[in-house]
Formats: sequence, C-alpha cells, structure tokens
Amino acid sequence: MTETEKKSSISGAEITTVTSETVQVKSETGFSTYTGKRNRVFMLMSLPAMLWYIGFCYLPMFGIFFAFKRFTPKPGEFLLKNLFINSPWVGLENFNFLLRSSDMPGIIWNTLIYNFFFIILGIGIPVFLAIFLTEIHSVKFKGFIQTVMILPYFLSWVIVGYLVYAFLATNEGQVNHFLRMFGMEGIQWYQSPGYWRVILIITELWKSAGYAMIIYLCAITAIDRSLYEGAVLDGATFLQRVWYITLPHLRPTICTIFILRIGTILNSDFGLFYQVPLDSGSLQSVTQTLDVYVYKALMQQANFSFSAAASFLQSIVGFVLLMVTNRIIKAIDSDSSLF
Amino acid sequence: MSDNNPKGRDIYIIPQKSAYSGTVNIFMSAFFLLIALLIFLPILLVIIISFSSEESVTELGYSFFPKSFSFSAYRYLFNSGEYLLRSFFNSVLITLSGTLAGLLVMCPIAYAVSRKEFGFRRRILLFLMIPMMFSGGLVSSYMVNTQIFHLKNSYLALILPGLCSTWYIMILRNYFHISIPDSLIEAAELDGCDPFQTFRLIVLPISKPVIVTVSVFQVFSYWSSWYPSLLYLDSNHTELYPLQYVLVNMDRSIERLSRDAQYISGAGVYTPPAVTVRMVMVVIVILPVMILLPFFHKFLKNGMTIGAIKG
Repeated sequence: MTETEKKSSISGAEITTVTSETVQVKSETGFSTYTGKRNRVFMLMSLPAMLWYIGFCYLPMFGIFFAFKRFTPKPGEFLLKNLFINSPWVGLENFNFLLRSSDMPGIIWNTLIYNFFFIILGIGIPVFLAIFLTEIHSVKFKGFIQTVMILPYFLSWVIVGYLVYAFLATNEGQVNHFLRMFGMEGIQWYQSPGYWRVILIITELWKSAGYAMIIYLCAITAIDRSLYEGAVLDGATFLQRVWYITLPHLRPTICTIFILRIGTILNSDFGLFYQVPLDSGSLQSVTQTLDVYVYKALMQQANFSFSAAASFLQSIVGFVLLMVTNRIIKAIDSDSSLF
Repeated sequence: MSDNNPKGRDIYIIPQKSAYSGTVNIFMSAFFLLIALLIFLPILLVIIISFSSEESVTELGYSFFPKSFSFSAYRYLFNSGEYLLRSFFNSVLITLSGTLAGLLVMCPIAYAVSRKEFGFRRRILLFLMIPMMFSGGLVSSYMVNTQIFHLKNSYLALILPGLCSTWYIMILRNYFHISIPDSLIEAAELDGCDPFQTFRLIVLPISKPVIVTVSVFQVFSYWSSWYPSLLYLDSNHTELYPLQYVLVNMDRSIERLSRDAQYISGAGVYTPPAVTVRMVMVVIVILPVMILLPFFHKFLKNGMTIGAIKG
C-alpha cells in the first residue's frame, strides 16, 4: 500500500484528504490508486469463477446458431469453424421441420399439461402444508416433519425411479401384489400409458412438495406475530386469519415462484420423464416432453440442429412468457413482481 | 431467519393458549405424521426389500412384510469385488473434489461482489446473472465440453459442469454482505491486510455457517448427479461410473457383478440375487443422505431463507 502511494505521489498525484483513518490518493486520471490496487486484488479473486463462467456458460451461448444452421461438420476441424464456416445457414427451416413433425404436437402438449399441474399443485399444496404446519406447537416435532418431508428432494431421479419400480414392477411390485390379494388382475404398469399422467404428477409432488413447503414456511415465520395475536383478540377464526393475514403476506413469494415457473413452462425435469418410466417405449405417448426430445435428438439420432432448435424454442418462449407474466403481475400488484 | 434465535422462535411463532390451538394442534400433528409416513413409505419399502430373502421376494414380491429376512444381498455386494467398490470410490471422489473446488472458486468471487468498494461489483454481478436467464442449450454445451474441452470419459466431465452456480454465489454473497460488519473489515485493512488477506484471515473463519450450507447443497447435488455420466461416459469406461450411473445401467451392472464374483470365487456359474441386489444399491445411495440430512437440515433451511431474500 505504501509503495503505491509513494509511486503515485512521485508521479504527481494529488493528495486530497489525509486523515488518521484513510489515505486517499488521486492520480491525474481521477482514479484512486488505493482503490486501484484493491480492485486488482478483487479482480484476481473473481478470476477463477469468471473463467468457469466463460467456459461453461458464455462459450456455449453461441449454440443458438446451431438452430439456424444445417450442421455439417468436417471431421478433424475445430468446432467453431465447423459451425460457422462449414455449415450453411438455413434460416427457420429447422423450426419448420421440427414443428411440422408428427410427434411434436404431442410432445409440446405433454410438456404444457404436466407443467400446468405442477404449477397449480406444486404451489397450492405446499402453501397449505406450510400454513397447517405452523399450527403445530412442538418445535421438535415440526423439525422432524420438515426433515422427513425434504428428504425426497435430495434423492436423484434414478433413485426415485427405483422407488416407483418397487411399487409398480409387474411381478414383484407392491401394487400388483396388493391387487392380487383382493383377487384382481395385476396391471402391466410399464406398458399402460393411461395411468402415467397421474403417476408422474404424484411422483413429482412427492419429491418436491416438502422443499417448496419450507420456502413458504420461512416466509410465514417472517410475518409479524402481533398481527395474529391482535386477530385472535378480535375473535378471528382460523380461516379468517389465514385468508386475511397469512395469504396476503405470502403473495410476493408465491408470485415470484409463479413467474419463475412460467418462465420454464416448456422445460421439464428430464429425469422424471426419462428415468422414472425407465424409458419404456410403450409409455412414450405420455412421457415424452421437450427435454426428453432434446436429449434423444442429440444422443440417439445425432440430429444437432433439431435438438438445438427445440432448446431455442424452450428458452425464447420461456423468456417471453416470463416477461409478460412479470408485467401483468406488476400491473396488478407492484410489490409482487420479480423485477 | 429466526433460526439464529431458537428461544425467540418458541415464544414467537406459536399463538399459545388461544382457543383454537389445542384441538387444531392435535389434528395437525396427526395429519403431518400421516404425511411424513406416506412420504417415507417408499424408502422404507426399499430398505425392507434389501433385507428380504430371495425366496420371499419370488413368492410374495416386494413386500412390506417379507417371509424371511436375509443379508445375502448385502454379503453378495460386499464380496462382489472391485466394480462396486470402485463406483463408490468414484462417487465419493467426485462429491468431495467437486464440492471443495466449487467452494474455492465461488467464495472469493462472492466476497468480491459483496464489497461496495469493489469498482466492478455491478458489472460482475450482471456477468453472473446473465447465465441464469440465457443458456446455449444442451447441444452446444455438449459440443463445447466434448470437442473444445475434450471432457468425454473423464472425471472432469462429471465435476466441472456443476462446479459453480449463481444461486450459491448469491447465498454466499448475501451472507458476507449482511452478517459481516463493515467495521471489522475496515479494521483489518487498517492493519495492512489487502482484500484477499482480509477474506482469508477474517471473513472465512467467521462465515462457517454459510460455507457449511453451500457445501451441503453441493455435496447432495454431486452425490445424486447422474445426467453428466449419461452424457459424457460411454460403456467402455465403466471404471469411471459413479454409483448413480451404475444404478442407471443396473441390468448390465448385475451381469458385470456376477462376472467379477465368479472371477474371485473361481467357482462355477453363480446367479446373484438380482432383485434384492438392486435395492441394496439403492439403499447404499440413500443412506448417506438420510444420515446427513437431520444434522444439516438447519443449514439447508438457512440457505433457502437467505437465498429467498430478493436483491
């Protein structure tokens, strides 16, 4: 520190303030050298993470061009050259083909219908669980319940797939075992698409409801308790307290999560739709979502352009919807919008 | 939030002795006991299956009440040789090194963007936020990772893509920003520390809670990660498989296990208790999470609370 100070005073810097606490030295450019050195150290501290972001987030962003090119790589040449020079522009042709392919309407419908239920139930159920859980007195018991309820969130979809399998396996499965006990026929679950919409929705809620509940629980904990005490004194019933105190205070949290979920409405959890149905071919009509398509187009058909076009569609539609929803919510209640 | 003050919470949340609470409390406790039971049921089933004997499974199927218990599947797996041990080692290696490296990379930048006197703070925050909104998609990250970084079939492919997350950086930053008094940092700088020394000697030691929070999140996410393996490992590199991916390829894995077992015992064909072995593997993966979760539940909740504060 002293060295830089000396250097800058030699080079004609002007010392503006000298107090017992801080020494600020301004060079001719008006840039404090003291800050300059500090900035350099801060930059060095940021550098490793920034390199990671450049390599793993920013570099792949050129990938949107895959969606507008017919990718024809020449073997042995550098990826960027293959993409930008060796592949011809095709405009919106990829999107055209993608949207006209026969299974695409089904895939998009699946993605939307599942997300619709995940958003409604995935917000509604945890909110009510959180409200109910605050009615329990014992802090220890509440902690225990929360621990059990977030456990599924930290299990991978692979594990969840096996848990579901333990119930639904055709021969050994618990459910078929149960059905046979009552003299009914076992069901070939992994061959019967009819049941899977409900199965997948239940599985998703089983995995994520506890975690979501805790987010709302934290928001409820932050509400000023004197409001409730006042309401009790005024003779408000449980439902009235929930309706007039708890829910209005939860509105910003609910809206934030709602906006974020709308932004990913064309995305789906790959593991849920690929690993939980064990990639069963006969279930495809109800389990194939855009993310499964993106994966399969890339890894199984090596169709880079279609896969990229599908991901591009996901993010652009998501982004537009996020902006629109945010704007609408801002117009209704400016405190609840995301930004 | 109120977690820092458990005593305060006792008085605070509970609307004590109000007319409704007695019955509502009992009713809700019963309700949540039921929910917890329902949520735990599938895990319990898998644990019971893993201890069931093979005969019981063939006769009754996967049942909560098996005819007889046996450790044969466990014994089989522990004697099954290198394959399983190796994948367990891989999972542990990926989890530990990924978490550690992630912290080493994320903590410094989180501290830098938490300090007001850092001139490029806003620009770097923006730099960190943009990837939350836009991403190149699966195709291009796959192409970049395989063709530019040549990560295919390496440990790095399983570690690097999940190393940093803006979410975790924000949790760290908010903690540094809110919980560490400015005066402490000013005092350190007066004593001649540069920002890095302040960070290393003053800030890190008193930030243990948030570091534990982020580590636990990272440990769980690396422990359960399987998607990178699906993308970047091919079937000729089974020595790199983490446990999760062994489970994805269970049918092939059981074949491999029995080959290992034959090789070791030198005996003739021995069919493994395939049905129960699967579930033993699942239990081996779940168990660490189940053991760690009660201890770190508080930290996870803290992370979620801090992260939920906007701005």
